[in-house]
Amino acid sequence: MRRLRLLFLFPTASILLLLFAVPLGILLVYACMTRGAYGGTMPPFTGESWLRVLDPLYLGIVGRSFLVAGISTLICVVLGFPLALFISRSGPRKNLYLSLVMLPFWTSFLVRTYAWMFLLRDTGLINTALQSLGLIREPLPLLYNWWAVILGLVYGYLPFMVLPLFSTLERLDPALMEAAGDLGARPSQSLLRVLLPLSAPGIRAGAILVFIPCLGAYLTPDLLGGGRTILIGTLIQNQFSNSRDWPFGSAISLALMALVMVMLWIQVRRKGEPLL
Amino acid sequence: MISRRKTLFFLGLTGVAGCSRANRLRLNVFNWSNYVGENTLPAFEAETGIRVRYAIYESNEEMLARVMTGNSGWDVVFPSNYFIGPMREMELLAPLDHSRLGQLGNLDSIFQKPEWDRNLHWSMPYMWGSSGILFNTKSGPSPRTWAELWTSRFQGRMTMLDDPAEVFGAALKKLGRSLNASSERDLRAALQEALRQKPLLRAYLNAEVRDQIVAGDIAACQTWATTAQQAIDAAPHLHYVYPLEGYALYADCAALLRESRRADLAHQFLDYLLRADVAAGIVTYSRTATANAAARTRIPAAISSLKTLYPDSETLARGEWFAPLAAQAQRLRDRLWTELKSA
Amino acid sequence: MKRLLPLAATGIYAFLHLPLLVLAVFSVNSSRFTLWEGFSLRWYQAAFQDQQLIEATVNSLLIAAVATAAAAVIGTLCAHALWKKDAPIITMSLSLSLVTPEIVAGISLLALFQWIFRFLNVHLGLHTVILAHVSFCISFVVIVVLARLRTFDNSLEEAAVDLGATEWQAFRHVTLPNLMPAIVSAALLAFTISFDDYVITSMVAGVDSETLPMVLYAIARRGANPMVNAISTIIVLGLGVMILASERLKES
Repeated sequence: MRRLRLLFLFPTASILLLLFAVPLGILLVYACMTRGAYGGTMPPFTGESWLRVLDPLYLGIVGRSFLVAGISTLICVVLGFPLALFISRSGPRKNLYLSLVMLPFWTSFLVRTYAWMFLLRDTGLINTALQSLGLIREPLPLLYNWWAVILGLVYGYLPFMVLPLFSTLERLDPALMEAAGDLGARPSQSLLRVLLPLSAPGIRAGAILVFIPCLGAYLTPDLLGGGRTILIGTLIQNQFSNSRDWPFGSAISLALMALVMVMLWIQVRRKGEPLL
Repeated sequence: MISRRKTLFFLGLTGVAGCSRANRLRLNVFNWSNYVGENTLPAFEAETGIRVRYAIYESNEEMLARVMTGNSGWDVVFPSNYFIGPMREMELLAPLDHSRLGQLGNLDSIFQKPEWDRNLHWSMPYMWGSSGILFNTKSGPSPRTWAELWTSRFQGRMTMLDDPAEVFGAALKKLGRSLNASSERDLRAALQEALRQKPLLRAYLNAEVRDQIVAGDIAACQTWATTAQQAIDAAPHLHYVYPLEGYALYADCAALLRESRRADLAHQFLDYLLRADVAAGIVTYSRTATANAAARTRIPAAISSLKTLYPDSETLARGEWFAPLAAQAQRLRDRLWTELKSA
Repeated sequence: MKRLLPLAATGIYAFLHLPLLVLAVFSVNSSRFTLWEGFSLRWYQAAFQDQQLIEATVNSLLIAAVATAAAAVIGTLCAHALWKKDAPIITMSLSLSLVTPEIVAGISLLALFQWIFRFLNVHLGLHTVILAHVSFCISFVVIVVLARLRTFDNSLEEAAVDLGATEWQAFRHVTLPNLMPAIVSAALLAFTISFDDYVITSMVAGVDSETLPMVLYAIARRGANPMVNAISTIIVLGLGVMILASERLKES
């Protein structure tokens, strides 16, 4: 009995150990070493890279990444909630509607980002259409700004919000809303007082699934932000390419991991939906 | 290849992908996009029986990230001149054997003893170019200086390259200093300039800008001469300018990776690229600037007369070659770059 | 609210699908640019003749298929074990690996391979990419399969054991058949995620393991290319058909 269970756990455990724990351990070692003259790492061991993470410049970038990820998550909640509610109440068509949410997600992330660039450019579809309708003369600068980045992130991660929300809402008894209505609550009241609190676990799970990838995103800010901005993901990527500063890159990566762990821990402690 | 075969076997997939090629000699070449002709590789394969696995990259960083592990599988790469020193220090490169590169003499005299690799011990100059200003002539008279990219003339419709060396380099040139100035004072002055310019910019773009300036999204940009030439070929109303304050020159050089166990084939390939007719064929197709002097006479005049690729000697004298920065300065520049991006 | 909800949902669906629809429409435009110049399949033709694209697609399919198969098996076993009794360290690690930012995962794997290569003479290639993909696909499989298992009645397997079946037989003949739909969904999810991955793949790929996203990224960076529209449309249609087929499979 226990032997079989251990046997079943063994492959996952060894993959997690070898391809997840050990690599992070290596980063930990790198983060405590010194940058070589032309990149790479070498002794002596120092805490210098860790101190640099606390530099206001980099803390500012972390702050900005939190802000962007936070706004994106919030928009995902605002868009994801009605959608999940709609799907959970659509009876036999549920699966079809759910697949429709997933369909864009099944395409390449790059393709999706690329589609937005195609739409938002000065000579892109939106500007061309608005111009030919005579609504604007000069193209609107839609691409290469914060909003384009947030748009790309929302678009990319919305399904991650809808899915857990849907599974929470689906389990709710529709009679609850009716009861609230029968007791004289206006629809907006029953929404705010009954439905929203009850779907909190789904929102929390979705928020984690959206917030964390947004926090570490690096392709979207790069492509849609036009290199005008820098977020943690790009900062990390830069350390391993342009700057060739592995110790510092490792330190930021691990700092980011620590933040992620704290968030995950809070989620588990609040007895919300466990991710697994 | 062997390890790949083993892996596939291990996965029970033998015969699925490409194993029939295993017996042929092969060489893995990683190069910039648009850097060989249509027939360059097929002709080499037909002549030698070596199969060339060829892939392309768009930036030095991309290439370096891929070969940094020292076990990437690539044999020949084409770093820019200022990446040769760092890559050598990282022990990624193997020395070239000149006895197997009989046609090294074909190179232009300025590439025979370049400052970044005096004896061509580690690298073989292949293509070269500059970073200048590409602009749309429909938007008015030609800018002549970097300083004009600091005025409101192209506000919101211009881009700079997404590279600290290029942006700070242009700023330093605007200030009348050396491209490679690396004192803290110089770099901080460059940052101040770049910060002043940032609100005027649409974005920091590399290769992506080509299509945007052709389509008309962008009116002026800092870009590389080769990219500029491709844009001009697509849209003749574009014009490339070598700024009066001076500008950056770079050379992309072939180098042999230390991890390569196919040094023989690699040298054979490099010597093939050095041939005047081969180099001329490449340039005719790709419209780039070759480091091969012997090829210059065989290039159609329509190409060798392109000022974008082959500036006259007076213009060329204003150019300055990129040099790698010392570790301390590099670190400072990266930090200032982050400051610029965060602003 | 009864009327507002479908309206909002329609709007959000439009937001989700319009960009892809636009790509599909412009993939059959004969012009390079955003102006419509007439119907043409030239970009599809160009895509099908591009050697690099074809090779990359074959690589991507191969990697996704192998990684999915491995992750489906390993993940299902793990989910089954976790269903019987929680293993906090493994659950926690799986959740953590699920939410690890891709850039961190990619860089740590790169560091791992670089370190291993000091001792072993192997190259980056299909195998390193497949390993990486298996590692990030497992947690998705575990989530989907475990969620399904939690709706199952544990007593069925116990009854089978009481009737003389071994643990393995009980799993193999009682639980597994009922679990198949969930495993198919999980595999589909893993396949898509593997097929789509750029950040991690680009860090651990070697000479013969350029994947489709890597090539797409390179093309997209060189500027707008309607070929990308064509390929994207093919991917959407291909995966759409795959999803429909698997739905049918589950129903039957």
